[in-house]
Amino acid sequence: MGFLTVLKKIKQKEKEIRILMLGLDNAGKTTILKRFNGEPIDTISPTLGFNIKTLEHKGFKLNMWDVGGQKSLRSYWRNYFECTDGLIWVVDSADRRRLEDCMKELHSLLLEERLAGATLLIFANKQDLPGAFNIEQLKEVLELERIKTHHWKIVPCSAITGENLLEGIEWLVSDIAARIFTLD
Amino acid sequence: MSVLRENRENIPKSLPSSETKNVITPEDVLRLPKITDSYLCDPDANVYEIDFTRFKIRDLDSGAILFEIAKPLNVDGSAEINCENDESIDPNSGRFVRYQFTPQFLKLKTVGATVEFTVGSHPVNRFRMIERHFFRDKLLKTFDFEFGFCIPYSRNTCEHIYEFPSLPQDLVNEMIANPFETRSDSFYFVDDSLIMHNKADYAYNGGIQT
Repeated sequence: MGFLTVLKKIKQKEKEIRILMLGLDNAGKTTILKRFNGEPIDTISPTLGFNIKTLEHKGFKLNMWDVGGQKSLRSYWRNYFECTDGLIWVVDSADRRRLEDCMKELHSLLLEERLAGATLLIFANKQDLPGAFNIEQLKEVLELERIKTHHWKIVPCSAITGENLLEGIEWLVSDIAARIFTLD
Repeated sequence: MSVLRENRENIPKSLPSSETKNVITPEDVLRLPKITDSYLCDPDANVYEIDFTRFKIRDLDSGAILFEIAKPLNVDGSAEINCENDESIDPNSGRFVRYQFTPQFLKLKTVGATVEFTVGSHPVNRFRMIERHFFRDKLLKTFDFEFGFCIPYSRNTCEHIYEFPSLPQDLVNEMIANPFETRSDSFYFVDDSLIMHNKADYAYNGGIQT
């Protein structure tokens, strides 16, 4: 698990990849970031700012930004859009009450010019919880089929068990890498 | 919060004019051939009230935490005090940290170094860290990272995960035999102007001293 595993598999032509992870508060962004990087996940409190992980591997850099999702912080998200290659949108699949809010926030992000070139990975988190919506249900509620402007994929996962985190991020990084190579 | 309000807040009245001071830029410190003899800015250059509240180093291969030191919170007291190595910080200065490791530390493959910091009432633009590690006058490693924007009153963390530079064995032996001659300067910039300068030194002879 972790960045190193992902990085060792991709061709290293590009110097730096920047990934931005957003979503409503309590979606599990920080837990995903920590779980993915092998840190304990038992004492995570709401993010009142950002958490960054940056990894260097043979001169290649992967930077992941997790910015707090509370309503009061969302107006600051745009300060982190610049140069974003990949966007991870994290969904609490069991928080049915706020899925409409979640859908609206996602679609307004996708209108952002500075995110226009970014690959979109949607992590349907908390699949371990009873009552969690599955991928098909989320596609419908979040109106994902409407997205024509970005490469996107939805991946069911659990930050608690670690299920599918590596697979999701591998897809994201390889999609970014492929896109960057075609531009060269 | 509106864009307009933020922009206004970017130019707080309380900030001293940079014209009266000799501004140190990132280019200046990237050129330095060795550790500085003194701090390149005053503690009061930190007008953004950026406060480092935690330093942590872990080994990614084993998951072990090798070093962790945290400040207690002064606002709501909710942070735990975690000071596993309290003799390693100079009580007279929050700008200096002393690390004492065993020789095993130099054999690590992948290390994660975390800093946690809080920001005061002003938004911070283009926050950038440049960290330079030297053994005597030999440059071992340069970190150069731009955090970018920081939200007012925010608490932020950044972990740099990196593969330990492979050092020749004779250099490693020298570093072990000469404690605290491995040193680092950490420079922090806002809008390309130096606002904080911290120092650290390192020993790798833990457990082998007589």
